[in-house]
Amino acid sequence: MEYENRTVPEGINVSKENPLKDFFILAFGLGAAVVTLVVVLSFLAGCLVQFVPFETEVMLTEKFSFSEFMESEMHEEKQNEQQKAQQLEEEKKQQKITAYLQNLANQLATAQQLPEGMFITTHYIDTDTVNAFATLGGNIIIFRGLIEKLPNENALAMVMAHEIAHIKHRDPMVAAGRGLTVALALASLTGFGDGQVAQQLLNNVGLITTLSFNRNQEEKADAEALNTLLEYYGHAKGAEVLFEILENEQAGSTPPLFLSTHPLNENRINTIKHYHQQQSPQNELTALPELF
Amino acid sequence: MLVSNIEIIPGKKITKHLGMVQGNTVRTKHAGRDLMAGLKNIFGGELVGYTELLQEAREEATERMVSQAEAIGANAVINVRYSTSSVTAGAAELFAYGTAVILD
Amino acid sequence: MYDLIIFLTLMALGYIFGRIAEARHFKSIMDREKQYQHILTFSERFPPSGVSRVNSELVGGNVVISVDYFKRIVAGLRGIVGGQLTSYESLLERARREAILRMKETAKNMGANMVVNVKLETASISKGKKQQVGSVEVYAYGTALIPKTP
Repeated sequence: MEYENRTVPEGINVSKENPLKDFFILAFGLGAAVVTLVVVLSFLAGCLVQFVPFETEVMLTEKFSFSEFMESEMHEEKQNEQQKAQQLEEEKKQQKITAYLQNLANQLATAQQLPEGMFITTHYIDTDTVNAFATLGGNIIIFRGLIEKLPNENALAMVMAHEIAHIKHRDPMVAAGRGLTVALALASLTGFGDGQVAQQLLNNVGLITTLSFNRNQEEKADAEALNTLLEYYGHAKGAEVLFEILENEQAGSTPPLFLSTHPLNENRINTIKHYHQQQSPQNELTALPELF
Repeated sequence: MLVSNIEIIPGKKITKHLGMVQGNTVRTKHAGRDLMAGLKNIFGGELVGYTELLQEAREEATERMVSQAEAIGANAVINVRYSTSSVTAGAAELFAYGTAVILD
Repeated sequence: MYDLIIFLTLMALGYIFGRIAEARHFKSIMDREKQYQHILTFSERFPPSGVSRVNSELVGGNVVISVDYFKRIVAGLRGIVGGQLTSYESLLERARREAILRMKETAKNMGANMVVNVKLETASISKGKKQQVGSVEVYAYGTALIPKTP
């Protein structure tokens, strides 16, 4: 009996395929699959939301007190100061402001021809945040910080009309439905195993795809808002002021378009200016009431 | 090619011992099998998907070991041992090794 | 945005340095295998019949090799689609051959010329959950037969 060791050839247990090629095929294949999945689910969410009646949205949100939620910290400060007379006056002022905003919202809603059964509820929050948004149940929240930056009522009406347009298009509901289905689908695909980084990667790909749907919604809301201003005031002057202000605020730190939830400020200003060219330029702007 | 895990094959004589041969493969499951396994975690029972996966992997590892043996001119592999280990979450390495011999 | 840049940089580093290290390691392995060619290894349990004037010693060699970032990403992506993980196969091949070489080295230092009943154990040290580094350990052991000096 002979004993020897013969050399085994290379390449039986190790494949000769280039790992980079393997990686690219995997990454692009999976990326394309995720993008397709997200697009399909988003369209489905958009179509199905028509079947959720507005009354359901209102029911979900009517128990929720927006002002209490946002200002809970501010209220505590006032109690510590114990200046009750000043607090009473503040509250009266806030009621007047809310009444004014609600009135403006109702008039713009009529101008925009909101469908039967839909109504707007405005909430005014007394903090420095420069923001305004629309959410489920026809609720619009506007912050003092934003109104302080606006020079006239036309710009405020632009903001208001834009948010009302979102509600008219049922955008909050669509965004909620889409967010839920996409998150669920991606989690069930990638949630298992060691794929921590792969998971994040594919989640980000899904997220970037949904952002383009967001931008689409914003553009539609802008167009609707311009029409509403025209209907209410007879002209749309003053609307681009808002975006010029926002552009100044963000100077130098804008993310690239495909990572943004909104179209670029520049593009929105140009759209509005183009719109103006089709109207007469000699119109007057309406001033804000002295409450601010 | 004779593959066996005993040393002394009844009725055969070993004329030459040619050294160790090895075969291994690393396989991972896909998202579908994982979902089923997740459900089975609640209900219990055999994970048929994984069983099939590991069996296929074991066959491939054995095949690679046999190709190594053929490449060095053997006609049998004796004293074969198998080993399974998990190298990363969701992936398993199947390893087969034995001694390649020439039987007459 | 920065996440993406960091991710791509880590991947590139993992790929470049990983490949360099692997190529170098394989070359070193092939050279040393030629060098230790004369120490025979078998997985059979019984030493060759007729051999009696030998001392027997248990010898072993082990190695721990770490997974680089690129391999981890590919493994994560594969985990969704399923199939063969070729990036890990080369890693384990390296680890196994290195472990056997180290065992042969130990045997040679004792003056042996044959190792029988070679067995291999593979284990994963911290499989790489939650940002931890994953690594693989291979341990090869067997009985070395050392001829008795007359």
